[in-house]
Amino acid sequence: MTAPKSKGKKVSRRQFLRLAVTATAVGPFFTFPDRALASQKTLTIAKWAHFLPSYDTWFESVLAQTWGKQHDIKVIVDHIPVEQIGARATAEVAARKGHDLFMFPWPPAEFQKHAVDHTEIYQSVAAKYGSIPLIAYKSTFNLKTKEHFAFADSWIPSPLHYFQDCWSEANMPLGPVHYGSLRSGGQRLRAKLGIPCGLALTSTLEGNITLHTILYAFRGQILDQNGNVAINKNAFTVDALKFVKALNQDAGTPDLLTWGPADNVRAMLAHKTSCTTNAISLLRAAEKENPELAGKIRLQPPLLGPYGVTAFPHATNCSVVWKFAKNQEGAKLFLSDLVDKSDAIYEKSLGCNFPTYAKTVPNLIVRLEHDSQGSPPSKYKELKDALHWTPTLGAPGFANPVWMEVFSTSVVPRMFGSVVRGDLSAADAARAAETEVKRISQKWNQT
Amino acid sequence: MLGALLQLTCSAPPALPQTSPVVNPPPCDFSDNFYNGNGINVSNLNLAVAGRFGTFRQTGPPASSFNGGTNNWVPDSTCSVNDPTRRNFRILATTGGYVDDGTGSPTDFISILAFLTNQNDFTGVANARNIQMVDIVTNFEAYAALKQRLPNGTFARNPCGTMASPDAPTTPCFPVTSVATPNLRQDWRFATNRNAIDGSDENRVSGTGSNATIVNNSPFGYFCDDLLGMWIITYFWFTVDPANPNPNPTQQCGSILAALGQKNGFNLDGTPIIKTADELNNQLEANHCGAEGQEDVGGADGGAVWLVCPAIPDPRQGGIAPDAFPDVVFKPDGTPLDPAIINNFRCLQTTGQFCN
Repeated sequence: MTAPKSKGKKVSRRQFLRLAVTATAVGPFFTFPDRALASQKTLTIAKWAHFLPSYDTWFESVLAQTWGKQHDIKVIVDHIPVEQIGARATAEVAARKGHDLFMFPWPPAEFQKHAVDHTEIYQSVAAKYGSIPLIAYKSTFNLKTKEHFAFADSWIPSPLHYFQDCWSEANMPLGPVHYGSLRSGGQRLRAKLGIPCGLALTSTLEGNITLHTILYAFRGQILDQNGNVAINKNAFTVDALKFVKALNQDAGTPDLLTWGPADNVRAMLAHKTSCTTNAISLLRAAEKENPELAGKIRLQPPLLGPYGVTAFPHATNCSVVWKFAKNQEGAKLFLSDLVDKSDAIYEKSLGCNFPTYAKTVPNLIVRLEHDSQGSPPSKYKELKDALHWTPTLGAPGFANPVWMEVFSTSVVPRMFGSVVRGDLSAADAARAAETEVKRISQKWNQT
Repeated sequence: MLGALLQLTCSAPPALPQTSPVVNPPPCDFSDNFYNGNGINVSNLNLAVAGRFGTFRQTGPPASSFNGGTNNWVPDSTCSVNDPTRRNFRILATTGGYVDDGTGSPTDFISILAFLTNQNDFTGVANARNIQMVDIVTNFEAYAALKQRLPNGTFARNPCGTMASPDAPTTPCFPVTSVATPNLRQDWRFATNRNAIDGSDENRVSGTGSNATIVNNSPFGYFCDDLLGMWIITYFWFTVDPANPNPNPTQQCGSILAALGQKNGFNLDGTPIIKTADELNNQLEANHCGAEGQEDVGGADGGAVWLVCPAIPDPRQGGIAPDAFPDVVFKPDGTPLDPAIINNFRCLQTTGQFCN
C-alpha cells in the first residue's frame, strides 16, 4: 500500500493495522500523526445512487462531511445512477484515474486486478466486530489470489411485496408462498381484478436480481461450485425459463417487457400490479407518498422454489479502493470507520441497508418487529431471517469475474426476455446463454 | 349419531392411569391453545376436511387390515400430563418415511395429525417469537408421492390442478385431493436436513482470508421453531411413462429409471422408489424425467397444502407405544412396499431400538 507522503516514508502493512486498531479504539478523534503538517487531503468517492434519495443526501452531507472534518480530509461524493455504475468504473480503470473509492451495488469482481487487497480492512474491523461474515466473504474474496478485492459493509434484502387486499381475493391473504401459487393465484387475480403480477423481467437491476433469483430457486446455476459453466448443464434453466414464460402469459402483462429502472416500483405505487420483488425502499416510498396504499402492501420472504426459499440481495454494498487511488489510506480508513456507522446507515436507509456485521445493529430484530412507519408496526418482521434466505451473488460459489460479468452484462435477463417474447424456445435460449457464458469464462481464464 | 359416537369416545376413560410425566412419551394431538398460540385457526382445524386426529378419522385410513390398525387414535389422559401442550388423544397411526439427509434411511416416524388446505387455516398471528407459522413451515418440506396410475391402468404424467409440469401433457392427470396412504405409490420423504440440528445452512464464516472457514448456522430448526411439527407438502412425480420413458430421442429417462429401480426397488406404479433429494433433483428432474410442486395455497387444488405431522423426536425407548401401528405403503398382496421401514418400526416398538 502507498503511504502518507509528508514524511517521505511508507507506512507498512503492520503500521496501518496498528493505526486502524487505534482508530477503532479512540473512534472519531483518530488522525494520522503527521496530519497537522500536511496540507488538507481529498478523498473522492463514487457512490451508486441509493433507491432512497434522502439516504444519499445524508451520506454526503452528514456522514462523509463529519468524517472528513474529523480527519481533516475534504470528502467529495459523486452519486452515480446504478445503470451507469459499470461504465463509469470501466472508464476509470481504463484511464487509471478517477475516484479513490468506488462503491458498487454488487460485488465488482471484474475489477479485482485494479483493486488493492482489502484484507487489512477486514482485519482491522475484526478487532471490534468479529470475523468476516459469509455474505462479505463470498462477495469479495478472490480464491485464486487469496485477496479481498472489495469491502462489503451492508446489503439489502429482496423480499416479495404484495397487496394483501388483492391476494385475499385469491384466498391467499398471507401471500403466494411459492412459485406455483404465484402463477395460479396471479392468474386468478388478473382474471378477477385485472391486476397483473409485476415481477421485473428486463435488464435493470431489479430485473437482474429477480431473474437470477428465479433461476437459482429453480436450481439453475451460472457456474457450479467449482466455477465450471453450468447454465445449460441440466433441465433446471429450461424449467425456470418455461415457468417465467407461463407466469407472464397467465398472470403478467406485455408492459413488463418494456420496463426500465424502477418501473416495477412505480407500478406497485400506482397499484397497477399485485406484487413484485424489491428492496423495501418500495414500501418506504409508499409510506411517504401514500400511507393508505402502504398499509395494503405486505412483505413475505422469497417464494419457495425447488431449491428452497431464496433470493439474491437487491444490493450488496461493495466498496473498492483502486490501486491508482491518490488517497488509498484515507479510503481504507473511511471504509474501516464506515462499519462503525452501520447503525446510522440502517436508520438513514430506513431499514434498507442491513449491516454486514450483525453486531453493529444489535437490536435489528426488535426494530424489525416494531417499525415506527410500518402499518402494522410488525410488518417488517418478515425480514428477520433474511440472512438465512439470501445467498451471495456468485452462488453456489464465490462472486468471481465470470459470474459478475454475466450479471453486469445482463445475460440472464436477455435469456429470459427472448423466451417471454417468443423469440426463442426455452431450450434454444438456454443454449445461447451457455455459449455467451462460455465465451466470458474463456476470456477470464485467459487473463 | 356421529356426535354421539364422538361424545362417547371423548368421555372414555384413560388408557393408562398416570399422575406424573414420563420421559419420551408417545405422540398426542396438540391442545387448542397451542394451535392458537402458533397461528393455526382451530375452527378450521375442527372441520372434516382437516381431518384432525382426536376429532376425526378415528377409524379408516391409515388404519387397515394390512397394518393391523383399528383405531388411528385413542383417548389418553396422560397426554396433557406428559406435555401440557397436548390434548388427551394419543396417536397410534405412526407414519414411516425416509430421512432426506442424503442417506435415504427409513428411520423417520411422524404422526399426521391434520391437513391444512388453504391459507385461511392460518390466523396470520405470529407466535411467541413473533414469527408467522406460514413462514416457518415453508422451510420444511415433506415429499408426497401420489399414485400416477389411474384405475383404468393409464399412467398419468401430470397432477390435476395447478401443479402440472410443462414437460408432460396435462391430461390425463392424477388426482391430488388426498394424501391418505391408500393414494400413495411409495412412502414419504422428509427434508429433515433443513434444520439447525445438522447445521446444513451456511451463513457465517470463521477466520479471514484464505484461513476462513464457513460455519453452519440456521435460524429455523425443526424441533426448536416448528413447534407444531408442520410441513409444506412437495408433491413429486414422473413426467415420463415407464412404458415409454424416452418419448423423444434425446431423453435418457429409461436408463435413469432402470438404475434407480435396480437400486431402490419399484413402487406401486412400476416406477422407481425415490429416497433421496439427489435421486429426485439431480437424476429425475435434471433430465426432464420428473417434477415437483406444491398445491395452490388458496385451496384451488382441493388437497392438502400443509401437514400437521410432528416427527417423533426420538422414536427409541418409548417413543413408539406398544399399541401403535405402522402407517406405510403396502402392496396389494398385503406385504409392505419397503420392509425396511416397517422392520424399524417393529424393532423400535419391541426393543426400543432401531434394527441393526
